Amino acid sequence: GDSWGIFTFLCAALCNLPALPALNCSEELGAGQSIQQTYDLTRYLEHQLRTLAGTYLNYLGPPFNEPDFNPPRLARAERVPSATVDLDLWRGLTDNARLAANYRAYSRLLCYLRVLDGQVGTAELRHRLAHFCASLQGLVLSIGGVMSSLGYPLPAGPAGPPAGPPGAPPAPNDFLKKMDDFWLLKELQTWLWRSAKDFNRLKKKVPPAVVTLRLEARGF
Amino acid sequence: PLSVSPAAAPAVISPQDPTLLIGSSLVATCTVSPDFPLKAEDLYWTLNGRRLPAASYSTLGPSTLSVALARLNGSRQQSGDNLVCHSRDGGILAGSCLYVGLPPEKPVNITCWSKNMKDLTCKWAPGTEGETFLHTNYTLKYKLRWYGRDNTCQEYHTAGPYSCHIPKDLALFTPYEIWVEASNRLGVAVSDVVMLDILDVVTTDPPSDVHVSRVGDLEDQLSVRWSSPPALKDFLFQAKYQIQYRVEDSSEWKVVDDVGNQTSCRLAGLRPGTVYFVQVRCNPFGIYGSKKAGIWSDWSNPTAASTPRSERGAGGCDPKGGEQNTTLRRELKQFFGWVKKHAYGCSNLGIKLYDQWRVWLQKSHKTRNQV
Repeated sequence: GDSWGIFTFLCAALCNLPALPALNCSEELGAGQSIQQTYDLTRYLEHQLRTLAGTYLNYLGPPFNEPDFNPPRLARAERVPSATVDLDLWRGLTDNARLAANYRAYSRLLCYLRVLDGQVGTAELRHRLAHFCASLQGLVLSIGGVMSSLGYPLPAGPAGPPAGPPGAPPAPNDFLKKMDDFWLLKELQTWLWRSAKDFNRLKKKVPPAVVTLRLEARGF
Repeated sequence: PLSVSPAAAPAVISPQDPTLLIGSSLVATCTVSPDFPLKAEDLYWTLNGRRLPAASYSTLGPSTLSVALARLNGSRQQSGDNLVCHSRDGGILAGSCLYVGLPPEKPVNITCWSKNMKDLTCKWAPGTEGETFLHTNYTLKYKLRWYGRDNTCQEYHTAGPYSCHIPKDLALFTPYEIWVEASNRLGVAVSDVVMLDILDVVTTDPPSDVHVSRVGDLEDQLSVRWSSPPALKDFLFQAKYQIQYRVEDSSEWKVVDDVGNQTSCRLAGLRPGTVYFVQVRCNPFGIYGSKKAGIWSDWSNPTAASTPRSERGAGGCDPKGGEQNTTLRRELKQFFGWVKKHAYGCSNLGIKLYDQWRVWLQKSHKTRNQV
C-alpha cells in the first residue's frame, strides 16, 4: 500500500544526493536530506490522521465526535507521552534530546495504536488503522535514520511488549476505554504538530554541506 | 468543565456497559463519589450527546440520580450508545456504553470451492440483511465426516466480508461437514451443516497462453488456441472449455459451449474487418473420476484479434472449418497432400492456396454483381 510508496520515495530521494555517488540507499546518507524527508512524513501523517481520527471518532459515537468535546483527563497512569512542553525547555533541547523525545514518543504511540487495531470493530476502521500504523512505523524508522546519520545512539528498549504497552493498566470499563482512545488520538495529533516544528528547527541547524564533511571525515 | 485529575473516578454508573434487547427498558443510576461536593440535583444525563428530559430522572439519594429509558432502539454505533452522567457545568463524571440489538440469525447460503484441490474457500450470507446493531463475529468450522475433530478456519475476508480460506491439510475422498457460527453479545446462531467432497467443488486457473489468430485470408473466421491449466496436469480429468467472444464496441458476449477436451477452436460466421475480444475458461470435469462437473475457472484475460476485411453473419465453433468442410474440399486436401509427396517443385500447391482462390472467387463475384 501507501507505506511502501513512502519507503520507496524516501529511498529514491536519499539515493539522489549528488555529492556522494558511491553510496547506495542506506541510513548513512545525508542527514540534511533525511531531516527534510522526516519533516515531510510528519506532515503526511498529520493529513492521514485527520481522516483516521474522523472515522474513529464517528465509530465511538457522540459526544466523542463533537468538535467541542473536552473530557476530563483522569489520572490513570500517564500512558501516552505528552507532547506538551515548556517553551524554554523545548527551545533549549539539544539535537540529540529533541530527536530522542520524538523517537520514544512515536514508538510508544505506535504500540498503543497497534493494540487498538486488534480490538476495533469494523473492517474499514481496521484497514485504516493498519495503513496508519505502517506509515507511523515509517516515521519511527526515519527518525532513527536521522539519529544514526548524525551519530546519535537510538534510545534504548523496544516499543513495549506485544501484549500491551508498559505501565498502563487496561481501562476498567468500555466508556473509559473510549476516553483513552480519544486522548490517544489527541496526543498523536499534538505530537505531529510539534514534530513539524522540531524538524524545522533541526533542518536549520543541520544543512547538507556540514553532513558531507562529517561523512568524509569518517572515511566515506 | 472539570479538568482536574482526581485519583478516583468522580462518579459510578450502574449498570456499567450492559447488553440489551431492542425494545427493552433500562433504569440507570449515577452515584457521585464521596470525595466530590456534588449533589443529585447538580447532575444531568445525556445519551449519544443528547440531553435526556428531566422528567425521566429520579433522585434515589443525596448523591444518586437515576434515569429511565424506555423502548430502546438498536445502538447508534457498534461501539455502544454513550450514556453519560454530567455535572451542572457540563463536565463528564462517568459514562456507560449501552449495547442494544438482536441476537444473530443463522448464516445461510454457504458455498465453497477448491483451487486445484489444494485449498478451500467458503463464503456465506448473514441471516438478516447484514444490518446489525451489534458487532457480529463469524466462525467457519469444518470436520471430516466420520472423524471427531472440529477445525476452525483462520483466514477471513479473503473473498468478501463473509468468507474464509482454508489453505492446507485438506483430505480428499472423504466428505467434509462445514458450518458457520455467528455470535454477538446477545447470543449465537449456527448455520445448517453443508456436506461436500473437495473433488466435487474443484476449480482451476483460467487456460494460459490464449492466442487468437486469423485463418489465412478468411474474413469470417478466427482461430483460438490455448494451453490447459498447468496446475492440474498431473490429475486425471477431462477439461471442458467455454469460449466467449464479442466485437470490440459491444458488451454482448457470444458463448461457445460445446468445446470439449480440445485446446483449439475455430470461430466462424464472424464479421469481416472487425476487432474481436476472446476469453476462455476451464472446468475440471470428472476429476479423479468424479461424475460431477467442477466449478468454472475465471475467464482468461481478453485476447484481441481482427478478421480481415469483407462481409457475412451467424456464429459457432468449428474444429475443421465449417461449411468449408465439403466433400470436394476434403478430396482436394488429400490430392494436394499426395502432390506434395510425389510431385517435386509443386510445393506451394496446398489447401491454403485453394482457400485463397475461394476468397478471390467471392471478391470477383461481388465486383461482377456490383457493376
